[in-house]
Amino acid sequence: MTQVTRKQLVMIKGTKSGLVLRLDDQCSYSELMSELEQKVREEALEGTTEIQLHLGNRYCTDEQVKELINCVQKSPHLRVSKVQSDVIRVEECNRLIKESQSETFVGIVRSGQVVQAEGDLVIIGDVNPNGKAIANGNIFVLGRLKGIAHAGAGGNRDAVIAASWLEATHLMIADKVETMTDELTILSERPEMECAYIHRSGFIAIDRLQELRILRPYLSTFKGGS
Amino acid sequence: MGEAIVVTSGKGGVGKTTTTANLGTALALQGKKVCLIDTDIGLRNLDVVLGLENRIIYDLVDVVEGRCRVNQALVKDKRFEDRLFLLPAAQTADKLAVSPEQMKELVTELKREYDYILIDCPAGIEQGYQNAVAGADRAIVVTTPEISAVRDADRIIGLLEQEEGIEPPKLIINRIKRHLMESGEALDVNEITTHLSIDLLGIVMDDENVISSSNKGEPVVLNPANRAATGYRNIARRILGESVPLMSMEEQKKGFLGKLKSLFSK
Repeated sequence: MTQVTRKQLVMIKGTKSGLVLRLDDQCSYSELMSELEQKVREEALEGTTEIQLHLGNRYCTDEQVKELINCVQKSPHLRVSKVQSDVIRVEECNRLIKESQSETFVGIVRSGQVVQAEGDLVIIGDVNPNGKAIANGNIFVLGRLKGIAHAGAGGNRDAVIAASWLEATHLMIADKVETMTDELTILSERPEMECAYIHRSGFIAIDRLQELRILRPYLSTFKGGS
Repeated sequence: MGEAIVVTSGKGGVGKTTTTANLGTALALQGKKVCLIDTDIGLRNLDVVLGLENRIIYDLVDVVEGRCRVNQALVKDKRFEDRLFLLPAAQTADKLAVSPEQMKELVTELKREYDYILIDCPAGIEQGYQNAVAGADRAIVVTTPEISAVRDADRIIGLLEQEEGIEPPKLIINRIKRHLMESGEALDVNEITTHLSIDLLGIVMDDENVISSSNKGEPVVLNPANRAATGYRNIARRILGESVPLMSMEEQKKGFLGKLKSLFSK
């Protein structure tokens, strides 16, 4: 009995940016693993080749993904540059939705109070000294920011903090912390709306609000217009 | 049915007790029936400021624990016939001797008989504060023109705003030293009110007589010529719903030259 008609579980395609391994999403995981191991051994290559793994509609846990990558990289000639999947978990999907949303707080964040948002945070009011605004996304204060603001708390270094009056004691973006030194205070005393962002140099910088369209053009979600 | 007003500040030493004593006295002078409650258990001194220290028999903890009736513990201020009473705090217990529920019950009971219940709150934001706030309908936040006091006032306002069944707190700026405010060395009234963004109930000028009269056990408000007393009397009238213009700090400043200047500028 020959298995001529057996379906290939690992398809190899060549593209400009390297090889794409398209893994079958219907078979069992163990079947897939054994075939992948075999395929990797068969490949006779020289130098290093970039590999992209396409998982299709198969959901793999983080550990399984790691296992797949390790399996491919057993060959000294292969390096996985990207793992792509068409499915994500409902929880992750909800988290992504939340992160892309903006929450509004109307009031004054007073000393000792913390206002936290999954996505962007819009505060209509002031943030007083020792008050704290935390967001995984950006923070916009339509008032005086005199306390502490932490944007991109989940690690997003592209997040920004903008305020009508930027007089914060501490600015934090992702893992960067900036206490308002004299220099920054002078900058922030200009009678203009301002924003803080992580500069290319890796430090938190303050600039006119209007510069955001150049610094972070992708913040705009507005479509259309004339 | 009366109203219960808590006088609080967060920071210690800004004049909560002095304010409570003087506002209570001013309200009694206006003909209202007033009961003052000292909730600073373990560190009581509202009785001293009112000059009632040696007339205390029972205290707040005795009432709460059922050792006496409320009326037995109330100390009457003889200067005001039947209009000013004090429920003193215990000195031998601590703040945990009373629970917020017990306070609420007590204040509700007193509200039936009195027009105003003023509750003197201890410094801090722990149990003592929670006891003081429990039965209150309104809140007065006392601060001084110092950044540390304003910071703590901000904290306490935040807590009061989260409290249910209590009106938005009002602000008293105490111990204003005119020359420091004018020279810009102390925060000015406007700066403080915009920073805290709550309604200003009144301002009280700093005056040495406040200390000497507290030591004598006679609230300064009894002396109508005193400038701090004017501040307290104005605040009491605002509590009663009158609209009284804010005392101007300029007025008292005019010396001879100032008068001359205003004469020419007319």
